[in-house]
Amino acid sequence: MMRVQSSARFALCALLALTALSCAPKSGGRAARKIVIWEQMDPEERVRFEANLAAFRLAHPGVEIEHTPYETEQLRTQFQTATSGGGGSDLVFGPSDQVGPLSLLKTIQPLDQTLPAGFFDRFIPASLDTLDGHIWAAPDQVGNHLLLCFNRKLVPVAPTTAEEFVAMAKKLSRDGVYGFAMNVTEPYWLVPFLGGYGGWIMDAQASPTLDSPAMAKALAFVKSLRDQRLMPQESDYQIAETLFKEGKAAMIVNGPWSWSAYRKAGVDLGIAPIFRLPGGRWAQPMVASKGYSINVNVPKEKLPLVIELLTFLTSPEAELRSVRELAILPSHRDAYRDSTLLQDPYLAVSITAIEKGRRMPVVPEMRVIWDAMRPEMQNVMNGVKTPAQAAKDMQKAALEQIANMKK
Amino acid sequence: MNATIRAPRSFPYLLLLPAMAAMLLVVLFPLVYNFYLAFRNMSLYHFTDHRFVGLDQFREIFSQPVFYVLFGKSLLWTVVNVSLHLAIGLFLAVLLAGPVRGRAFYRTLLILPWAMPQYISALTWRGMFNYEYGAVNLILQRLHLPAVPWLSDPVWAFVAPVIVNVWLGFPFMMVVSLGALTAIPHDLYEAAELDGASAWHKFRHVTWPQILPVLTPAVLLGTIWTFNSMVVIWLVSQQGRPADQTHIMVTWIYKVAFAYYRYSYAAAFSVVVFLILLGFVVFTLRRTTPLESKT
Repeated sequence: MMRVQSSARFALCALLALTALSCAPKSGGRAARKIVIWEQMDPEERVRFEANLAAFRLAHPGVEIEHTPYETEQLRTQFQTATSGGGGSDLVFGPSDQVGPLSLLKTIQPLDQTLPAGFFDRFIPASLDTLDGHIWAAPDQVGNHLLLCFNRKLVPVAPTTAEEFVAMAKKLSRDGVYGFAMNVTEPYWLVPFLGGYGGWIMDAQASPTLDSPAMAKALAFVKSLRDQRLMPQESDYQIAETLFKEGKAAMIVNGPWSWSAYRKAGVDLGIAPIFRLPGGRWAQPMVASKGYSINVNVPKEKLPLVIELLTFLTSPEAELRSVRELAILPSHRDAYRDSTLLQDPYLAVSITAIEKGRRMPVVPEMRVIWDAMRPEMQNVMNGVKTPAQAAKDMQKAALEQIANMKK
Repeated sequence: MNATIRAPRSFPYLLLLPAMAAMLLVVLFPLVYNFYLAFRNMSLYHFTDHRFVGLDQFREIFSQPVFYVLFGKSLLWTVVNVSLHLAIGLFLAVLLAGPVRGRAFYRTLLILPWAMPQYISALTWRGMFNYEYGAVNLILQRLHLPAVPWLSDPVWAFVAPVIVNVWLGFPFMMVVSLGALTAIPHDLYEAAELDGASAWHKFRHVTWPQILPVLTPAVLLGTIWTFNSMVVIWLVSQQGRPADQTHIMVTWIYKVAFAYYRYSYAAAFSVVVFLILLGFVVFTLRRTTPLESKT
């Protein structure tokens, strides 16, 4: 019996010890030298990112860096859930509009207060977003904008007007080849056309402005391309990209992140700003930066190392690696002024396209506006609603969801 | 003396302690916290300063038509899936329990869909459902049948995840049924044969009553899993496409919580789902316990 008693005591002690160990703060020792990053990157972009991490590790022996890739929505969801429970990655990298909800949820730090004074002077102003008077992300690139990509073998010169574009797409849509392909399931791809017809998604007070003639025209224009069979009937991101890579689509609207993969697939790639729409305005893509935010849960003793890594990842050395190989525009002033930038024909066109674009708002309402636009855009493409009705309904849905979000 | 008597009694509890602690942490705490949130107004704008709002979230849920639409779709999703899982699984189990050459091969082949990770299967099927380039429509066109808008028409976009879920789920029922079938004493069939019973009569009066006690909990579990299963429908329909027409209750809860940040509303919706399933389980167990004791 004594043996049973002592076994019981031993088991209890072991359990308590294990519990105590597992509850111990992870701030000291090895944990303080390990940085975790959750990121949303294109696979090609990730290769350069890993090269940057390798360079940092070389200069900082003993520092462990772990990164986990996520898709945009998943990244935000995972991060907000983990962080509100006291966990989450030290750094989170993604598009600028994620800072809206993440800052409101108090899951990321205001970097203008966390980072040394004058830290943001090194960035070009176009790459920085403020929300509630604070900067929440340190950008490593600017752009994330959509352009017209074309296969030079099929399209020697890019169309500059919608009429030219439609005529060209009609001529090319035959023998299993489509003149055009585009992701018509995501509203981000609709916005350039909305802007081209003179519309925008919200006013200065962040109130949605989706029910507009411009929205109806933009929806009708994209729908007409499908109805004329100038693009596939079900065209999402994967389908459009696969067709373009395989030479089965002559033109595609996509961003700089995709170019490297197109060239690797053997496409003789040309890029241009998206054409002018009837009325004479250029299509107006959204322009945004992508960057790093710091988790509110990063312990004080670990923060200097996290800041050091963040500073390195937004340095000219790290940014130029992506600029040269992926044609992504840098956010750092010195990298942006680098002479190789303007010599690169892709980057020169990319800068022109950015000048025609409009900055993507980072307010939390953006989240709801995307979700209000998406189903109605799909309804128009599937012929369930007229463009005018869909524009009206997306406005109604956005207003309802914003009201619900603030309840 | 007392201490020596108590020791052996407390020791098993001590061994159970880690598992109990884990259960408390991962099951009971989230459940209680979910109930707590359901009566508050936690959202994007009230993430840290949420307050008690009583039954407001429940009132909103029951006053909106979306609840009834989603409830109907969830019922349809569950009934169609579980019925087909059971019908196909039982049919194949009866075939495999008989004298079939290469039984082990067929059994392995038929279990494969179950062994595949749901995530992979769902995304592969999604590709196969593409209107122009998907394998399903290409096969239909070879058979001179019209192509089906699997992912863009609201009805077909609901049928597509049902097909995938049936494909993924029937092996479970097949395995359970097969296990139950092999446990039936052979002399029951011999006796039935002597009485001149037909194949249908043998199934109806020997096989069915014998496998019912095994199938009942399997169907019960299958119903709860399917009602709460969001992976397949979420991935195949790409988060409710087209136009949020392919949601069931659980996918809608996920969307409301993580896309619209309405945590308390989503928590209240989860409580409703929990109560529906609890009601179903209690009702089914009361109905089936006497049935099982008869067999």
